[in-house]
Amino acid sequence: MENKNKYWKGLEELNNDPKFVAAKKNEFAQGIPLEEVLTDSDGEMQSNRRDFLKYFGFSISAVALAACNNIPVKNAIPYIVKPENITPGVPNWYATTCGACSTGCSILVKTREGRPVKIEGNADSPVFKGGVCATGHASLLGLYDNERLNAPRKDANESTWETVDADIKKALSSAKNIRIVSGTITSPSTKKIISEFTAKYPTAKVVGYEAISYAALIEANKRAFGKAVVPSYNFDKAKVIVSFGADFLGTWISPVEYTKAWAKNRKAEDKKMSRHLHFESNLSLTGSNADYRFPIKPSMEGAVLLSIYNKIAASTGAPTFSVPTIEVALNSIDLTAKELLAAKGQSLVVSGSNNLDNQLLVAAINGLLGNIGSTVDLDNYSNQVSGDDAAFEAFVAEMESGAIDAVIFYNTNPAYSYYNADKFKNALKKVGTRITTNSSTDETGELCNYQTPDNHYLESWNDAEPKVGYFGLTQPTITNVFNTRQVQESLLKWAGNTTDVYSYIKNNWQSSILMAGEEAWNKALHDGFYLAAPKAVSSASSAPLANDIANKVTVNYTTNKNNTEIKLYSKIGLGDGTHANNPWLQELPDPISKVCWDNYLTIGKVTADQFNLKEGDVVTLKAGKTTIEGLPVLIQPGQANSTIGLAMGYGKLIGKVASNFGKGLGKNAFSLVGFENGTFTYNTASGVSLTKTDDGYELAQTQTHHTIEGRNLLREASLDEYIKNPSAGNNDHAHIISLWEEHDSKGHKWGMAIDMNACTGCGACVVSCSAENNVPVVGRKEILNSREMHWIRIDRYYSFKNLATGKPSTKEKEYNDKNNKIDFEHVTVMHQPMMCQHCGHAPCETVCPVLATVHSSEGLNQMAYNRCVGTRYCANNCPYKVRRFNWFKYRENDQFDFHFNNDLGRMVINPDVTVRSRGVMEKCSFCVQRIQASKLKAKIENRKMVDGDVKTACQQSCPADALVFGDMNDPNSEISKLFKNERKYVLLEEYNVQPSVGYMTKIRNVNEPIAGEQKAPAKHDEKHEEHKAAEHAHS
Amino acid sequence: MRLNKLLLLLTAFFLGAKVTLADVAEGEKLFNANCTSCHAINEKVVGPALKDVDKRHNEAWLIKWIKNSQEMVKSGDAEALKIYNEYNQSVMTAFPQFSDGQVKSILEYVKTGGAAPVQAGGGATASADGAAPTSGEGFYSQTMLIGLSIFAVILLFIIFILVNIRKVIERIYNEKFPEELDPEDVKLPWKQNKKSTRYKLFVKHPVVGTLAVGAIITLVLGLYGFDFANKKVGVQKGYAPVQPINYSHELHAGKYKINCQYCHSSADKSKQASIPSASTCMNCHMYVKAKQKYNGQVSPEIQKIYNAVGYDAEKGTYIEGYKQQPIKWVRIHNLPDHAYFNHSQHVKIGKVECQSCHGPIEKMKVVSQQRSLQMGWCINCHREAKVDVANNDYYEKLHKDLKASNKDFITVAQNGGLECAKCHY
Repeated sequence: MENKNKYWKGLEELNNDPKFVAAKKNEFAQGIPLEEVLTDSDGEMQSNRRDFLKYFGFSISAVALAACNNIPVKNAIPYIVKPENITPGVPNWYATTCGACSTGCSILVKTREGRPVKIEGNADSPVFKGGVCATGHASLLGLYDNERLNAPRKDANESTWETVDADIKKALSSAKNIRIVSGTITSPSTKKIISEFTAKYPTAKVVGYEAISYAALIEANKRAFGKAVVPSYNFDKAKVIVSFGADFLGTWISPVEYTKAWAKNRKAEDKKMSRHLHFESNLSLTGSNADYRFPIKPSMEGAVLLSIYNKIAASTGAPTFSVPTIEVALNSIDLTAKELLAAKGQSLVVSGSNNLDNQLLVAAINGLLGNIGSTVDLDNYSNQVSGDDAAFEAFVAEMESGAIDAVIFYNTNPAYSYYNADKFKNALKKVGTRITTNSSTDETGELCNYQTPDNHYLESWNDAEPKVGYFGLTQPTITNVFNTRQVQESLLKWAGNTTDVYSYIKNNWQSSILMAGEEAWNKALHDGFYLAAPKAVSSASSAPLANDIANKVTVNYTTNKNNTEIKLYSKIGLGDGTHANNPWLQELPDPISKVCWDNYLTIGKVTADQFNLKEGDVVTLKAGKTTIEGLPVLIQPGQANSTIGLAMGYGKLIGKVASNFGKGLGKNAFSLVGFENGTFTYNTASGVSLTKTDDGYELAQTQTHHTIEGRNLLREASLDEYIKNPSAGNNDHAHIISLWEEHDSKGHKWGMAIDMNACTGCGACVVSCSAENNVPVVGRKEILNSREMHWIRIDRYYSFKNLATGKPSTKEKEYNDKNNKIDFEHVTVMHQPMMCQHCGHAPCETVCPVLATVHSSEGLNQMAYNRCVGTRYCANNCPYKVRRFNWFKYRENDQFDFHFNNDLGRMVINPDVTVRSRGVMEKCSFCVQRIQASKLKAKIENRKMVDGDVKTACQQSCPADALVFGDMNDPNSEISKLFKNERKYVLLEEYNVQPSVGYMTKIRNVNEPIAGEQKAPAKHDEKHEEHKAAEHAHS
Repeated sequence: MRLNKLLLLLTAFFLGAKVTLADVAEGEKLFNANCTSCHAINEKVVGPALKDVDKRHNEAWLIKWIKNSQEMVKSGDAEALKIYNEYNQSVMTAFPQFSDGQVKSILEYVKTGGAAPVQAGGGATASADGAAPTSGEGFYSQTMLIGLSIFAVILLFIIFILVNIRKVIERIYNEKFPEELDPEDVKLPWKQNKKSTRYKLFVKHPVVGTLAVGAIITLVLGLYGFDFANKKVGVQKGYAPVQPINYSHELHAGKYKINCQYCHSSADKSKQASIPSASTCMNCHMYVKAKQKYNGQVSPEIQKIYNAVGYDAEKGTYIEGYKQQPIKWVRIHNLPDHAYFNHSQHVKIGKVECQSCHGPIEKMKVVSQQRSLQMGWCINCHREAKVDVANNDYYEKLHKDLKASNKDFITVAQNGGLECAKCHY
């Protein structure tokens, strides 16, 4: 038996917390909720034997009566005039551009009978290559949000377009100063429309405002290279990637594009891999996937960057600057500089900071390394993000002075996301005409006297130019659900232009983008994108750094050295809070903390001990003048010491899901944003204090729902080990004796391979699966009861790795020793997607008393819902814990007011998949509806099935291509090849349940072995005082 | 001789008359099947009104024209050219398949002005009016049943009387000759007769008795209930709801032999066979108004389509700005939500006839559900139906394997057609 890393999901499991252990003895966290059903709303158990008999008697007679009823009359209402391209029952696909955020990914929208039901990636797109993120998938549900405005409003009262148009035109024509406050606009046609608008109203100016700003990045490139742009980053061309808090796999600029590019070099094909080093404070998704991760405080970033810059400059002959010695983990600076120098021109340094000095240093390092023109493309730059923070500050001041007469908000909500919301609100009151185009009433909308709701992007004509030369088209996939009108049309109308948006965009494309006629337009519309010839990429060296930069970073470092710092971050899915009203995104567990439906303070173990805090405590946070009350605490392994993380995008008071029906959901962290040196800053170190309150709060966390009981589920090896031995880390195979007869499968045998190297844990598959398979949203309360319904979950495991020795800590005793302070800063993370494994010898099948779950000849573990009587034996016997029980009827039930509860929300239901009822089990079906549809398609086309015909929902839009689905009986299929790979292993092989899902051993590109020889006992970083003490205590 | 001649003449006359009547019926059939999409007798549709067409043109010309009008136009026939130009040079469909006799019969029918012949050979008109022949059969079987029942009741009554008479005679005899009565034979009431089973059951062991009786009743009721639940609950066999339009499949699919998929156009390419849109109806009913049946008025049923789409039958145009009203058909064949059924799989790949599941639809005036649509019924077919492996490349491997093992065929069931997830997901 090899020595193994010890993996753990949470601190409860690591410490064998007695409560956790006791809870895990039961399969289900709670028993049958009889009390809930029978209890009156005042909370007392009112029911007794008599009541039981009454209910019993009533139920029996009700059932008898119901059974005698005739089936209700159902109508079948055909079209009056059937649209030529719609065949009822056959989906239509439209290529369009995602409008969930400004990234502008190319997507395909599946519509059934004229209503969009699924979003998938457009695999033809050369930039996005078929990936979609969780937010993109979930934006579909935003279309069916019944809280969207159903008509324009004037002074909060419903009005008509004619009235508001007339009013607005009149107001605008007499206005002296007009401002359009807008988020990032990548659409060339929209820009042109705005220029028409400003031509008509010459006093109108556009103020760019992004809640999460990239102003420093743009300004740094302007100063360093003379180009005020966000560059295109070519992660696929980089052999060494160094990121400073840039969560480029999760939330930074264009995560889908970057994940595709990043994953390309991470699959250890040909035994080559890129190396990824990551410096950050909060444990981010990207950090969790890095080969080396170094926790630093936000204020250290500049000093670390300058130290690295100095080392590179010294070797390339550029001037160096004086910098203090930094107490940073081990040899991280030396290592990073060495790696970067070894990969000159093939390396990439990025920073997620909005601090100009940091971004200038990053630009300088990239410049020194000759990365400009190879991994950093400033010519074919990105339009996807923007930010001009100083301009917005100036705008607020202008409003305050009363100089602005009219303001139009487009795709932005500063009353919520501006750090000084009260100041903004008061200033806004001084503006006479306040117009918002946001599609539902939000914090800004409440203060506007005209609400002219924009269409959802799935109802609109639009275009986008996410990157220079890459154009996307947006076309409507449904007629307007509400009486809304797209912003472009409104602006045209107000500017006195009566052209409809479609013609306008078409003309604009034909005259200035395509330079061609009808045919080219039709092709672009069909493809969803148009790629112009790329511009020649030029290399450049950065302008020399200003001399004061050394002083600035030193001051920043030394003054904050002993302070506790707050680092704000945005979560995958929720982002800046635009989609906070989307239940799919709220229910998506955070990729790292696995918490749904909340934000919270993430604190490292050591810092928490200093503040005497434990998980579940509620604290009051003070930072400078800002106070936030009632923040729950989450002990986050990997969090840099003396730092606190807090997610933005929560704490909304409008929107029933976003505000948890007015009860509040999380806290608004935007009030902690600062404004320094012309940019918004998302970290603060001044006067941070935490005051513990007497309250407690339980976070809805899915990771604690199961335990791995120390089983060997995760396998990893270093690249060196892998090169020496392709089956490194994967030598441990069980000796198998079978009790059962083998199934014979002559036709198809479906299977899935999951590449643990590629999977980043981003959660796109989880939302995609929910959309495809009508998975209900259950809400925070039910998640707390361990009753989440996701068919696919991503398990996140931590393990310790000692950077000093490069050896994993394995000794069981070490973890259980309460006195042994472990280095919680340095954890390594693995993400493991987990869904029904479709076992050949499925344990669930043998225990079902009614044969509701049985095996198919194609290797599927089938679940017949209407046969299920709800004994839950199968879930009890499933070693992978992937079966989900419908504890309630989640549709048409006001207790679950998410989207299954209203007619509009239910439009999102996939008509090919049963909506499950109360009392039945469900689980991943391998998207059997897609398998069946693909088989039928092949039969109709009179051909054999080919590899790739069936793509499951999770696989289709995986931004990292981590999932491969196919026919294991086809020797040439990709899956068959992967199953022969030495890295392939199955979970719990020793049970011989013969899963159809195989996992590929994770390979880390680190210098030292991971799970090899285990002679040396684990030692901890001696620089950490507390660890030293612990070592003594231990020995 | 003279008499003979007279007889001959008379015979010829009657024969002739009979032929004419038969011709009219035949003509009506042909006219309805082929001409009505462009012509009506009393009004102009796409083509001219046909009333008195025989007076406008001679018969030979008409036969030639109907068989191939374009040829005549090309040959420069003046009459033909005139009509051709008058109707915007729209081409009349050629009917080369008609015999001269058939064309003549059509013309005969047109001569009658579209009125149904008073007396004809039966067939066509009778079936158009109602289902007289079948209802007779029903009547006889019903009378028979009632008669037999009455007979049975009378017989039972006679038996009852006879038994009573026998009992009375026995009592009188026993009273008269009490010495002949064997004490062993004295019949005690069962409550006192300790030997009787009834006594043992109900007096000695009342619990057992009650339970036994209870069990029997429960069993009988239970069996009935099971049967009821199995065959009746949720089963809509025979369901024939009133539809918003009194549409007859018998007329369209039976009489006019319109292909099922002309209207149910997605049966071979989609999950749903689909109910045709009103615009599909209008393809024919823009012209076919069945005015001849309703004294020159548009048929009220067809008018319902016009009301749905907004069509002005008099002007022959669609009404602009009309708020269209969808037709709310009542769904007859309902599968539960958890059952997935795909028409194209069955129609296109399985080559199953529509009638296999929907019954003799071409004979139904009002569509009713003919099959139970229960899972057992589905499964039965899957057990018997063979997969056509030879003619679809999808089954290439399966076909090879079958040939290798010298098997002729494989049923749907053997190919996994009984597995849950083939229909339930």
